[in-house]
Amino acid sequence: MSDPVLSLTNVSKRYGDFTAVNAINLSIPRGSVYGFLGPNGAGKTTTIRMILDIIRPDEGEIQVLGASSAMHVRERIGYLPEEKGLYKKMKVWAIIAYFATLKGMHRREAKTRAYELLEKYGLKDFANSSVESLSKGMGQKVQVLSSIAHNPELVILDEPFSGLDPVNQEVLEQLIRDLKENGQTVIFSTHIMQHAERLCERLLLITQGRKVFDGTVDEARAIIPRRVILECTNDISTLAQIEGVLSVQELPIGNDGRLHGTRQWELYVKEQTDPQQILQYCFQNRINLSRFDFTQASLHDVFMHLVGPEAREHNFR
Amino acid sequence: MRVTLLIASREYLENVKTKGFWIGVLLVPIVFFIIFHVSSRLATATPTRYYLLIDQSGQYAESVDIAIRREHQRRVMQDFMRYLQENRTDLSGTALSREPATQLDQLIDDFGNDEVATLDEWLSNGGLDFALQMSRAYLRPDAPAFTEPRPQFIAAPLPAELDVSAPAQTIVDTLRPYLNGERRLQVNGEAVSLFALILIPGQVDADIVRPATLQRVIVDGGGPRGVQYWASNLTDTRLPNAIQTSINNAIRQQEYTSRGIDITQVRDVQRTRLPLSRLDPGKAAGSEEVSLADTFRQWAPMGFVYLIFISLMQSVQYLLSNTIEEKSNRIIEVLLASVTPGELMMGKLLGIGATGITTILAWIVSFFAFLQLYQTVETVMMVQVLDVLLSSDLIPRFVFYYLCCYALYAGIFLAIGSLCNTLKEAQSLMMPLMMVLVIPILTMSFIAQDPNGTLARVMSWIPLFTPFTMMNRAAAQPPMFDVVGTTLLLVFTTIAVLWLSGRVFRQGILRTGQPPRIIELWRMMRRRSSRS
Ligand SMILES: Nc1ncnc2c1ncn2[C@@H]1O[C@H](COP(=O)(O)OP(=O)(O)OP(=O)(O)O)[C@@H](O)[C@H]1O
Ligand SMILES: [Mg+2]
Repeated sequence: MSDPVLSLTNVSKRYGDFTAVNAINLSIPRGSVYGFLGPNGAGKTTTIRMILDIIRPDEGEIQVLGASSAMHVRERIGYLPEEKGLYKKMKVWAIIAYFATLKGMHRREAKTRAYELLEKYGLKDFANSSVESLSKGMGQKVQVLSSIAHNPELVILDEPFSGLDPVNQEVLEQLIRDLKENGQTVIFSTHIMQHAERLCERLLLITQGRKVFDGTVDEARAIIPRRVILECTNDISTLAQIEGVLSVQELPIGNDGRLHGTRQWELYVKEQTDPQQILQYCFQNRINLSRFDFTQASLHDVFMHLVGPEAREHNFR
Repeated sequence: MRVTLLIASREYLENVKTKGFWIGVLLVPIVFFIIFHVSSRLATATPTRYYLLIDQSGQYAESVDIAIRREHQRRVMQDFMRYLQENRTDLSGTALSREPATQLDQLIDDFGNDEVATLDEWLSNGGLDFALQMSRAYLRPDAPAFTEPRPQFIAAPLPAELDVSAPAQTIVDTLRPYLNGERRLQVNGEAVSLFALILIPGQVDADIVRPATLQRVIVDGGGPRGVQYWASNLTDTRLPNAIQTSINNAIRQQEYTSRGIDITQVRDVQRTRLPLSRLDPGKAAGSEEVSLADTFRQWAPMGFVYLIFISLMQSVQYLLSNTIEEKSNRIIEVLLASVTPGELMMGKLLGIGATGITTILAWIVSFFAFLQLYQTVETVMMVQVLDVLLSSDLIPRFVFYYLCCYALYAGIFLAIGSLCNTLKEAQSLMMPLMMVLVIPILTMSFIAQDPNGTLARVMSWIPLFTPFTMMNRAAAQPPMFDVVGTTLLLVFTTIAVLWLSGRVFRQGILRTGQPPRIIELWRMMRRRSSRS
């Protein structure tokens, strides 16, 4: 449990003059579900490929399951690449079994396992169809199954949710939870913050090849101040005097369904600030609140806060 | 190694499932089978043909008639011989290398002189009926009954409206609609078309060509001379040939008599012959004689060259399309997380190689099955030829050159496949190699004719051609220096090509976008791979 499943030390990758991954340090504990977040072109896929030793870093060290190259421990790793694809003519069960045998599983065992997985994740009826006849999403599910069929200790999924319908996203979330329950370590990259929020214990956030955050989801939320929305008829800019309140700002009138004649205020408060304190202050100062919203910062906000401006800039590059 | 074999077995099993594979496996035996059947059954399959013979001279009708009947009897005899050989109780003593060869020569000689001793014997003994009786004891109990072949040419009765004594031109004019197929003749209540009209004019003897009169004939012009053969079918020459031979024989017999020459003596003279033995200096004393099997052995290498070529072409298909499938479907990335590019390449090489070998084995098996099914005179000979082949070193050479050739070209084609995302891109990269591959096929027959000539020797030393050329020369005992030298060079080149292809493959397989230019390719070969 002690030593990490994966550790990256100062890993960089350059394509010509362009640095795709810039001196990333990372350590992933065993048994965790780890999310890789970042805007398009941030370097997530490049990092994952380096972890799998499909491409070599220009600098830095990568240790996977105690080995210096993922190839040495390939039987213990499962991988779903970003660009999905399967042999079109093969049967669904056969392709899962084939990849499992490539990873060292016995042929017969692999076949049993393939059927078992297909049944468990709702693809039983397709076991004997050819891959050709599957829809894109179903094919993707099959590929996810083929990457975990050999019970790998470390599962790396590059954008596993893209292209799945909400029901199948649920199924996949469950699959990841099952893996975690089983003690397997899961790393996945995604653009859907809710998935990361629901599934991950820890996150890596990179942009333009640099790590901008690495830690638990709560730690990520703590990065940006909490937001409180108040609605009343008074001017409450004096709230700024309260300990822990960072800023008070009146929001312009918008189409937000507020009561007629009320004003809306946005407060940013420190992470540890107790909302009771604000309520109490309002009560004491006879401020009649028609709304009091104390929301936790979402990962989305964190993401936008950390990489938003850069990501937009990046797109205009 | 385990992984390599897994890849190979998947590759193999998937290839074997494709339509293309089965077409390849079945096409060759089917074509072979059809050719064999068509050629052996063609003779019996041709329809019976009706002819009209009008002999105004009254001298030759009988000879022609006899000749045509004899021709039919010859076929009956031939068919019966074949029937006998197919259905004998004991097959061991049939058609042996030298004896039948000389017998056959004698027979051909006899046919040429239209003095078929055997046929005479056959006829004088009572023909088919006698033969059937005689052979009954030697036939297998389950032998089918012998069916006599249909006569090929039958004389048709003259149409009622025809005046046989009319001038030649009138007769031809009367019969023209029949000859053109506009009208049909009535034979036994059946309407049949007239195949040919043979018209022997009354004054035909005036047209006899003798060496002394040759001059005059050439100067003379205009109008058909001699026997007139009218037929719209110009390709079937059996009837006119038979007629010409029979009439000439009749005339010659007259000549012999009129010149006071003893016909029996002439016959004896004509049948006198000196055989020619073809000898091979390369063989041990006492067995220098060149048999039919030896001739086959001379030509077998060319067959093997073809086999290598066809099989290689089939493999190229798989090498390219399977690699490109993995690339364009992005399966490659999952694979590369499980196997090294080297293992992947080796797996493909082995799997597709096994596919090619399976095809060849399937051909060989179907060939043997075919021999077993049709144990006729020809195939008994083929079995012999095969025995000779198996006892010579042609087979091991074929195996060696096949494997080297496959590995050499497969390496190159896999590298090409790894660089391309579509078959179309691959095709343009393949073009030069395909043109190179055509050269050994184009030069094949020249090399077979002069196996130790300059062209053969030069091409042997070009590794891309070595397998084809040396295979082609295999029966001609090429100099030891050539054999050893080219073999070493070939093995060395194959290893080098595989090694370089491995490098290109490793880097190419992850590439996306356009295939590289030559200069980039060169860099890929020199650069150490990005992976172990
Ligand atoms: N083979 C390559 N050659 C040149 N540049 C590359 C190559 N592969 C990736 N890059 C560049 O590296 C950067 C990081 O790419 P990467 O695929 O890792 O991004 P990502 O975070 O996975 O993005 P996305 O969310 O869009 O999948 C991109 O700017 C990309 O253009
Ligand atoms: Mg990506």
